[in-house]
Amino acid sequence: MIIPVTSADWYAVAPLTIVAVTALVVLLADLLAPKNVNRYVPIGIALAGLIVAAIDCAAAYGHDYAAFGGAFIVGGFSVVFQEIILISAVGSVVLYGAIGVGARTPGAIALLLWSTCGAMLMAGAGNLMTIFLGLELLSLALYCLCGLAERRTAREAALKYLILSSTASAFLLYGMALLFGASGSVALAALVSPALASNPLLWLGAGLFLIGIAFKLSLVPFHTWSPDVYEGAPLPITAFMSVATKAGTLAVFARFIYAALPPGVDERLLLPVWIIAAISMIAGNVGMLAQRDLKRLIAYSGIAQVGYILTALAGGTALGLRYAIFYLAAYAFMNLGAFAVAALLSDDGEQGSVLANYRGLGYRRPIAAALMTFFLLAMAGLPPTAGFLGKILILSTSVNTGYAWLGGFLIAGTAISLYAYAKVIYAMYTRDAHGHAHDVHPFVPLAWISAVACFVLVLVMTFYPLTPSNVLPLVR
Amino acid sequence: MIGVLILFPIAVGLGMLIVRAEHPYVTKAIGAAVAALTFIAAIDLQGSEESFRWLARPFESSFHFGDSGISFWLVLLLALCTFCAILASNTGRQRQFIGQMLLLQGTMMGLFLARDLLVFALFWDLMLLPVFFVLVGWGQHHATAWRYLLYNFAGGLTLLLATAAFGVLYGSTDVIGRSGVHLVGSWVPWIFAGFAFAFLVKTPVWPLHTWMPLTYADMPGPMVAVVSAVQSKAGLYGLIAIGMAFMPDYLRASALLFVVLGAISLLYGAFTALVQSDTKRVVAYSSLSHLGLIVIGIASFNPIALQGALIYMIGHGLFSAAMFMILGYVESREETRSLTRLGGLGAQNPRLAGALCIAALAMLGLPGLAGFVGEILILTGVFQAGWTWAVVVALVSIVLASAYMLRLYQGIMNGPQVADLPVRPDLTWMEGLALAPLVLALVLIGINPHALTTFNTSAYNAAASIAQGTPQ
Repeated sequence: MIIPVTSADWYAVAPLTIVAVTALVVLLADLLAPKNVNRYVPIGIALAGLIVAAIDCAAAYGHDYAAFGGAFIVGGFSVVFQEIILISAVGSVVLYGAIGVGARTPGAIALLLWSTCGAMLMAGAGNLMTIFLGLELLSLALYCLCGLAERRTAREAALKYLILSSTASAFLLYGMALLFGASGSVALAALVSPALASNPLLWLGAGLFLIGIAFKLSLVPFHTWSPDVYEGAPLPITAFMSVATKAGTLAVFARFIYAALPPGVDERLLLPVWIIAAISMIAGNVGMLAQRDLKRLIAYSGIAQVGYILTALAGGTALGLRYAIFYLAAYAFMNLGAFAVAALLSDDGEQGSVLANYRGLGYRRPIAAALMTFFLLAMAGLPPTAGFLGKILILSTSVNTGYAWLGGFLIAGTAISLYAYAKVIYAMYTRDAHGHAHDVHPFVPLAWISAVACFVLVLVMTFYPLTPSNVLPLVR
Repeated sequence: MIGVLILFPIAVGLGMLIVRAEHPYVTKAIGAAVAALTFIAAIDLQGSEESFRWLARPFESSFHFGDSGISFWLVLLLALCTFCAILASNTGRQRQFIGQMLLLQGTMMGLFLARDLLVFALFWDLMLLPVFFVLVGWGQHHATAWRYLLYNFAGGLTLLLATAAFGVLYGSTDVIGRSGVHLVGSWVPWIFAGFAFAFLVKTPVWPLHTWMPLTYADMPGPMVAVVSAVQSKAGLYGLIAIGMAFMPDYLRASALLFVVLGAISLLYGAFTALVQSDTKRVVAYSSLSHLGLIVIGIASFNPIALQGALIYMIGHGLFSAAMFMILGYVESREETRSLTRLGGLGAQNPRLAGALCIAALAMLGLPGLAGFVGEILILTGVFQAGWTWAVVVALVSIVLASAYMLRLYQGIMNGPQVADLPVRPDLTWMEGLALAPLVLALVLIGINPHALTTFNTSAYNAAASIAQGTPQ
């Protein structure tokens, strides 16, 4: 069967095309430009491309359309996920400016943009093929990006990520094959048929599929890769990975459980997912307690935060999905903010990711310390940040849908996490007995952009929760 | 107008933390002026309200601020204590310290003025932060800040879960100060338990009190004055305005538990205060004892006892603020809090000795001062409600109060002068000025408690009607 492709289909993927082409422009500019052109040129091009793509993507809001015979879905919640992914890409590019990786910047940025493209594809994926295509595009670029930094841990991270992530992809792919076998179609919509509810192929396929997803989301039994990979990867890539990978995978997961399961299957099939989400909330937060590196801390925090988001999705209500996205957006802002502060404190290196360097920061760099405190409080879910309202919304939806036990795990996890976050805050505001042993380096010029980004994020995080009734209906 | 009461101190406080220009007297004057202005603005509080919508789903919630009936006096107490404490502050890094004091004032204003449960929960968490930062920046022990934060944050989380469940069940959290709100459902006991845990940790009562003596001993005097005077009332306020107003049946059903915990706190606090060697810990444990009495008063469901509890909340606020400020003066003069090292200061510092004497007398419930009125009303009400044994326990602990207050006073002021203690000037006019409003208020309320008895709150009415056996 040949599906006719119309111009509307091409318009539907315009944001992705823009991002992909921007990557090519970045590479070409590097090739054609004279030597020693500074790193701000590729960064500028990338930012321009991402912003145009974001505007184009936002324009698709409200125009629901299933492009390429249902392979790629425009409108609905995919727009919001894509915007979150684009924001994280913008953040990551800005961080590249702030810390820099020397001559490799153009290549890294091109790979980053292609990776963004893959995540956006996942957010809009309407069939199994597109999901896999998006996932591989996202992951392959990230394997290279992880290994970019010149240190041993970077190579280790890249290799570890490659092997473990490929294993997860294998699970996912095998699950997809079985799902295809069950329904005879790659379309997610074809799985809704009630006749499949008792088909063992569907159960097995969906189970393997969900294992793959849990792996990518780094839920607990499959989480061990993420702290090591986050630690080894360059700071901007960690920032991108911690948001975009999770956003893309969550979009796939949400579409799968909301729109691709036969009636009556979800409660039994998904129960193990909720259980591992509950375990993740505890284990992720406990794991944070012993960390000495900001990136590892955020990796463990991310494990728990995904658990919170899944709590909102449990029960499968439309409101739950909205709150999940609300929290995901808040999570994106707080993570990017924390990484932006870390970049502020780094000078063509990664001093900002070592937590020991934060000791006494409140007296050396009061503003940077205050910003970091704010983002950490947001992660802990304290007011006056978006994290607080996000948690309230998730708690209320969990009570409403009968998953109050997940809400209980959320509360317990949050209590543990506060200790871990407050430890960093505590270190920032204690006086260092040995004077200023770990003084930080002066700003590189683009760090100011990172600082501005921090301020913007603080404002967003403060006012975002004040107007949820304006933001929440955006999700459909 | 009400928004100003909350946002003005917070804005000035944040400004003080950010702006790096520093002059000790100017920052002190600005801080005191802010607190004084909020006090004046708060006098005009009754009847005014402000509200704007926050959430429509999953439950209705608004930024709704106003006097819930009992908040008025607590707000005045808060502004007064902050004013006095800022005048009394003499720690290092004045600018940051006063900034944190103002943040504490603003966030607690928000707590007491919130008419919405979710906003209440928001400010509940927020008011922990300034105290945490002061403990980190000015405290002496690592463990203190952690204990404070983790205990109270655990309470804050159960409060949050209970609030969310309340909202889902009732459909709205815009309820504080409203009458006729009744919850039904199988979760209500859990919701009540969530609220009660948070309130009892914050108050605190035995056995949830272990964060308190450490915190009070470790923090600079002026900050403890505000925390012990006003923040400890947040739990009691919640117990009345939320627990008693919306879930009276459950509070009544668990009254025995509350009375027992209160009675244990009364005795345990009094006996422990008797043997502490740290001046601030003596007062911290005596606070535990006094707050236990208030918990008993609330749980007895008797209108007289409730009246007494409300007066005693204000009275306790005034005298514990004065007490901690004076102990702060002593500590900054002599650089020790140990009763074994202190002694004989009275001869050289007659004014300081006089101030300590007044505060100690107020604390042990001398007739004519605010503490006495509250105590006697609570005891009468509790007796009327039939908890005779609790009255006996309370009387024993009141006798003990005289003993430990006398011991505290004698340990610091009387006896032979200790040779190796530094000799410092007596109470300065600024320090005296900081104490004067508190002492004045103690005397005024003691002489004319009627001014405070005109509470008109849904919680109070609910309690009164339940106590009299009339169905609502």
